[in-house]
Amino acid sequence: MPTRRAFLRVSAVSAGGLVLGVRVLGAAVERLAPPVAGAPALFRPNAWVRIDAAVRVVLTVGKSEMGQGVRTSLPMILAEQLEVDVDAVALEQAVPGPDFPNLGTAGSRSIRSLFLPLSKAGAAAREMLVAAAAARWGVEPASCRAESGRVLHPATSRALGYGELVEAAAALPVPGDPPLKRSADFRLIGRDRRRVDGPRIVSGEAVYSGDVRPPGMRFASVIRCPVAGGTLRAFDAGATKAIPGVRLVAPIAAGVAVIADDTWAALEGRDAVAKTVVWDEGENARVSSEAMRERLAEALSNERDGHAIRRGEDALAAMEKAARRIQSEYAYAFQAHAPMEPLNAVADARPDRCEIWAGTQNPNGVQEEAAKLLGLAPSAVTVNVTLLGGGFGRRGTDYVIEAVEASRAAKAPVQVLWTRQDDMRHDLYHPISLHRLEAGLDAAGKPVAWRHRQASVVWTSAAGRPATEQRLRSDLTGAQDQPYAIPAFVAEFVEVPSPVRTGAWRAIQNNHNMFAVECFMDELAAANGADPLRYRLALLRDRGRYDGGRENVPVDRDRLARVLALAGEKAEWGAAGRGSAPGSGRGVACGVYDGYTYCAVVADASTGGGHWRAERIVCAVDCGIAVNPLGIRAQVEGAVAWALSALSTQVTLRDGRVEQATYRDFPILRFREMPRIETHVVPSDAPPTGMGEPPVPVALAAVVNALSAAAGRRLRRVPLAADDLKGA
Amino acid sequence: MSRHVFLVNGTKRTVEAPAAMPLLWVLRDRLGLTGTKFGCGVGVCGSCTVHLDGKAARSCQTPISELGGRRVTTIEGLRNEAVRSAWLAEDVAQCGYCQPGQLMQAAALLSGSAHPSDSEMDAAMNDNLCRCGTYLRIRAAIRRAASGDARGS
Repeated sequence: MPTRRAFLRVSAVSAGGLVLGVRVLGAAVERLAPPVAGAPALFRPNAWVRIDAAVRVVLTVGKSEMGQGVRTSLPMILAEQLEVDVDAVALEQAVPGPDFPNLGTAGSRSIRSLFLPLSKAGAAAREMLVAAAAARWGVEPASCRAESGRVLHPATSRALGYGELVEAAAALPVPGDPPLKRSADFRLIGRDRRRVDGPRIVSGEAVYSGDVRPPGMRFASVIRCPVAGGTLRAFDAGATKAIPGVRLVAPIAAGVAVIADDTWAALEGRDAVAKTVVWDEGENARVSSEAMRERLAEALSNERDGHAIRRGEDALAAMEKAARRIQSEYAYAFQAHAPMEPLNAVADARPDRCEIWAGTQNPNGVQEEAAKLLGLAPSAVTVNVTLLGGGFGRRGTDYVIEAVEASRAAKAPVQVLWTRQDDMRHDLYHPISLHRLEAGLDAAGKPVAWRHRQASVVWTSAAGRPATEQRLRSDLTGAQDQPYAIPAFVAEFVEVPSPVRTGAWRAIQNNHNMFAVECFMDELAAANGADPLRYRLALLRDRGRYDGGRENVPVDRDRLARVLALAGEKAEWGAAGRGSAPGSGRGVACGVYDGYTYCAVVADASTGGGHWRAERIVCAVDCGIAVNPLGIRAQVEGAVAWALSALSTQVTLRDGRVEQATYRDFPILRFREMPRIETHVVPSDAPPTGMGEPPVPVALAAVVNALSAAAGRRLRRVPLAADDLKGA
Repeated sequence: MSRHVFLVNGTKRTVEAPAAMPLLWVLRDRLGLTGTKFGCGVGVCGSCTVHLDGKAARSCQTPISELGGRRVTTIEGLRNEAVRSAWLAEDVAQCGYCQPGQLMQAAALLSGSAHPSDSEMDAAMNDNLCRCGTYLRIRAAIRRAASGDARGS
């Protein structure tokens, strides 16, 4: 298990201020020029805490806010240990550069990776302020304590505000391993805290990248080849002649950019030019969804293909000897992110420098790619990260680089705005996959052998790369580390080439892998006439630990058993009448997200006339210390909505083209369809883990299991097919 | 290009623009009112909702030529503090992008029906999409605004 030590040092003493640098992720200390005059040369911090004489605390970290609440929860962690009001902590968005070489927001990792460093930073600053006060009073530091931005000496009823102490504190040595408050003494962590950005959002003042307006900015729309991988042959820039406000029509890597005085002119110009564009559609021009399904089925059946992760005994041999064998296939479609804010970015590319405004999860990637494109040093590229109108894994670099290219062509700041149709048709889709699960049961009905064979496309960024152990663990997350104790186990992965670009999508590989595992578990329980919750518990309780997730971290089956039992208890699992009405059903599912967050869901759902509805979701989670319970509940609600949407949406291909265009044919969950949701958080002193993604696949599987119960037949496809629900 | 005169948040505005230019882009690109958001451009998501003479309207589907003399209210000019406070008390927003449209839709609902039933809320809010899934809190916030209780729990 990787350890996440925080390194703390005083990095600078500014006028009347205390500045602490924190090295997050404790990697090797690098020998580089100090980022701030006076900083030790060997120390390169990537998070900063500044406290000035007015006791304004500024925390600079590189996490992008996309609705998951990091701008609220991260200051809570610092303020808790620093003993200041959380409102005193302002969060400043880090800008990529030498101090911040590895910004990035993904994988539900923000809280998990920053809890300890920020706690240590807050505690170190607090200890230094206490020491400064004690020195001034000539008393022992241990006789003082910090509270609400002041140091108190109770014995003499004296007090000094942090503002009066920061200068003296800054001259003191930084404690290497400052003591942390015990969780029993927390006054902020564990209490509901509303979103810091709330007031700006409800007033319309919150700034997303599309709201940035540098002087002289122009507006651009880009015509892209409808087939992924196609190339531009010809276009007629003259087509925009009659459209007032169009400034320039320029080819860029992605297609043709129409650059104008406002968005409407850009869109009108785009329509005119689009009629004249000739593409070489390339090799994907004939691909259809049917062809994709055939490719996957073929890959699945070519038994010699693929790579495997094995655990325990030989699964195939154990399968042969099993008393009974059960097999099922599951399918998961391509999915689009469809965030409410279509992709967009603003860039101002000059000959010697470039400034960018983007809602991105990968600011360093943006900086690097923009610098490469423009032939500039990375330090000449400034990336300002705005709020993201939904991220979900989509907001990386491609759309931002389009803005850089368009700005270079226009010699002016340019905003590139994708239309909803662009967003739907040129996404980095969630991979399509097909799964065959097979279990060998012993005479008592317990699985003794397990095989999960999967054919899938992989992320474009990983396509065709060697199937290293690490990559396999990642592609098979949720499958290779399924939580049940099974003595002979194999998970196999066969890569199929993708005709469209693919990438991270909220909950990533766990989406399809946990869906297949958790629905198959229900089939095993049913084959034994067993209760699906108790059947799972028997394979978890007192069954010890295993290594799971992409990073092979220790996972405790008992923690999963506890959330499963809790969800069952809160939902009154097994109580008479529950889920027994005609057309209604109950389902359960559980899982450990990437080895870290434990989650279980009980779902009530109903079917009728080919339609379905989730009625009630009871979710239990163990995410270690619950930093902001209000935010945790929000993430569960959001994850449930994401999962339910996936049961209705999919991206399909015809002649290499994505068929969906807007929310009309990509019907995400609506207001009226939202189920009741209860979230129960297991009290814990364990290090906190992420909540943005973990409930997604668990909720999805629980609802599919509930609908299977309601329909009286197993549902094995995502999205749900109308045929599967007919007659139910 | 033609000249269009209308009221935006109580102020008379004169805009030279093609007749077909949607109000959404007039607000965002000509008048600098960026609180109104672009979500789909085809009237199916509700992110661009404003009030036109007090009624909820999709600004992406409203050409400037239809605005002559009419009253436009955007999120920046919304006077319904009860709705805003309720949104904060319920901690509705996640990414926040669709919320100006949600607030405008909810405010229009409440101005027509002081105590909307669940089915009235369903009818009024169902075409305002939120990918973050904040619907339960939107419902709670509308209830809270209707009850006049703006305090946090």
